[in-house]
Amino acid sequence: MKWQLRSDAPIYSQLIEHIKLGIVSGEFPPGGKLPSVRDLAGEAGVNPNTMQRAFTELEREGLVNAQRTSGRYVTEDHEMIEETKKDLARAKIKDFLEAMTRLGYGADEIAALVSEQASKEGS
Amino acid sequence: MLGKLLKHEFRATARIMGPLYLVLIALSICANLSIRILDSSPAAALTVLGAILLAAFGLAVTGTVIVAVALMVNRFRTNLMGDEGYIMFTLPVSVDQLVVSKIIVSTVWFIATAAAVLVSALITAFRIEYVEKAVEMISELIRITPGLQALKGAAVIVEVLVLAVTACASFSLLFYAAMSIGHSFSNHKKLLSVVFFFVIQFVMQTAGSLVILASGTLFKPWFSGDIGIIPSVHRALWLAVLYVLIRGAIYYIVTRIMLKKHLNLE
Amino acid sequence: MPIFECRDLDKSFGQVRALDGVNISIEPGRIVGLLGPNGSGKTTLMKLANGLLTPSGGELLINGSAPDRNTRAIVSYLPERTCIPLWMSAGQLLDFYRDFYTDFRRDAAEKMFGRLGIPLKQKVKQMSKGTREKAQLILVMSRRAGLYLLDEPIGGVDPAARDFILDTVISNYNPEAAVVISTHIISDVEKVLDEVYFINRGEIVLHDSVDAIREEKGMSVDALFREVFKC
Repeated sequence: MKWQLRSDAPIYSQLIEHIKLGIVSGEFPPGGKLPSVRDLAGEAGVNPNTMQRAFTELEREGLVNAQRTSGRYVTEDHEMIEETKKDLARAKIKDFLEAMTRLGYGADEIAALVSEQASKEGS
Repeated sequence: MLGKLLKHEFRATARIMGPLYLVLIALSICANLSIRILDSSPAAALTVLGAILLAAFGLAVTGTVIVAVALMVNRFRTNLMGDEGYIMFTLPVSVDQLVVSKIIVSTVWFIATAAAVLVSALITAFRIEYVEKAVEMISELIRITPGLQALKGAAVIVEVLVLAVTACASFSLLFYAAMSIGHSFSNHKKLLSVVFFFVIQFVMQTAGSLVILASGTLFKPWFSGDIGIIPSVHRALWLAVLYVLIRGAIYYIVTRIMLKKHLNLE
Repeated sequence: MPIFECRDLDKSFGQVRALDGVNISIEPGRIVGLLGPNGSGKTTLMKLANGLLTPSGGELLINGSAPDRNTRAIVSYLPERTCIPLWMSAGQLLDFYRDFYTDFRRDAAEKMFGRLGIPLKQKVKQMSKGTREKAQLILVMSRRAGLYLLDEPIGGVDPAARDFILDTVISNYNPEAAVVISTHIISDVEKVLDEVYFINRGEIVLHDSVDAIREEKGMSVDALFREVFKC
């Protein structure tokens, strides 16, 4: 199953997001080895160069480390992973708040709706 | 590379010519048997069968020759001018190698067809009384006639073979030239190929006649009778070979230019 | 050095200008899209790259030389139509390619035939149209070429087959080789491309990387194409 990619944002940044999601969700566990660029590109259905660019960016951020011959590994820095998770969440919340504001809801109403929905989903 | 082209060209064509030759040989055996049966004045049913088999053999001979020619034309057309051309002309081979491989293979099949027809004729005539008598008479005739004795020489046989081979190659090249011109146009490719087939021949005939007329004076000493019959025969054969070679070379040049500079695959 | 380069390339057929002042430069390791409507000159450009046509003006260089039998040895070309001989069997096709191309990986191709369920004894004429197309693609992509030229590979092909084709392109990726895909169906192909050239009526009207277009213009290449080539 190819990765779902939006058509209006650069592909490499979506790949970064996708991999980050995999890291925080545990699909790519801390210290674990990442699939090769080519394998992951094939799985995602994208150009290996673009996947390489995403990897390079993740290496730059420190989430991923390249061991010279054995490949790429997820960082063991749990704090960084937590921070990444929060960043992803914050981005989602930002989008959500924008959408709710457009609907005309204020901050308190939003909070109330959220807890109502969350408790429904919880049961 | 040429070897590989030849290998695949033979693969493509042997699957058609091979079975035909087998059928031809089989029918020649039937023909031989038919003649013997018919000779012994049998029942009506056998006479009819014999006649049919003889007719079938005759058809097989004509058919095999026609197929050999049609195959030569068709191979060039489908393999080089059709969709397969996209594969053939993008191979790491030269245009010369492509054309030469086609010439070699079609010439081989023409010679093989002639041999197959000869063999089948011999089988048909095997131990048939009146054929053996006729052969005896012809041998006697050759021994008596002085000029014809030259025909028994190995040299003449070589010259005739060379002439046959060059004629086959030139014959094929005429078609190739016509097709390569015809297919360089975007429309009416087949029609134009036929048109140019005749146009080329017309041009060559006219040019040939002009050359012969113009050089009549130059070549006069060559045709005077004082050098003797046998050398004349040799000379005539070599002149024929030269003539055929020149025509073939012209067709080859035309084909090459069209395929290199004016290829128009659809 | 660019593996594929066009410098002010012109090609005319009589009065018709098929290509006009085309400038292209493609480095090894790139997967490039040549995008344009029908009749824009894509196929003409591909044919020129293969030496099937000769330029009317300007230059076309493969690895620095004009197309000839040596460049053909490093270019692997997938024509728009299926061109494999009908009388050959799958096995004979493999023999053919192995005979003429030293870079042909016969084992890999044979394995892929197996995965598609094509027995080696099966003749091309017995294969369905879709199978023939895939067989031809496998033969082309099983070469370790320097330049792959794919002319409309996903044109008249079902979605599953399109995925197969693009998967094959990705899995065959070689950082020393370039792939040029000409097409007018962009949405499927976009994620696989590094950069694109838009071509219209024989002229290059745009050249940019896919991600740059998405970043700067905020739309997919497909959307941009629709805008640029609006009827």
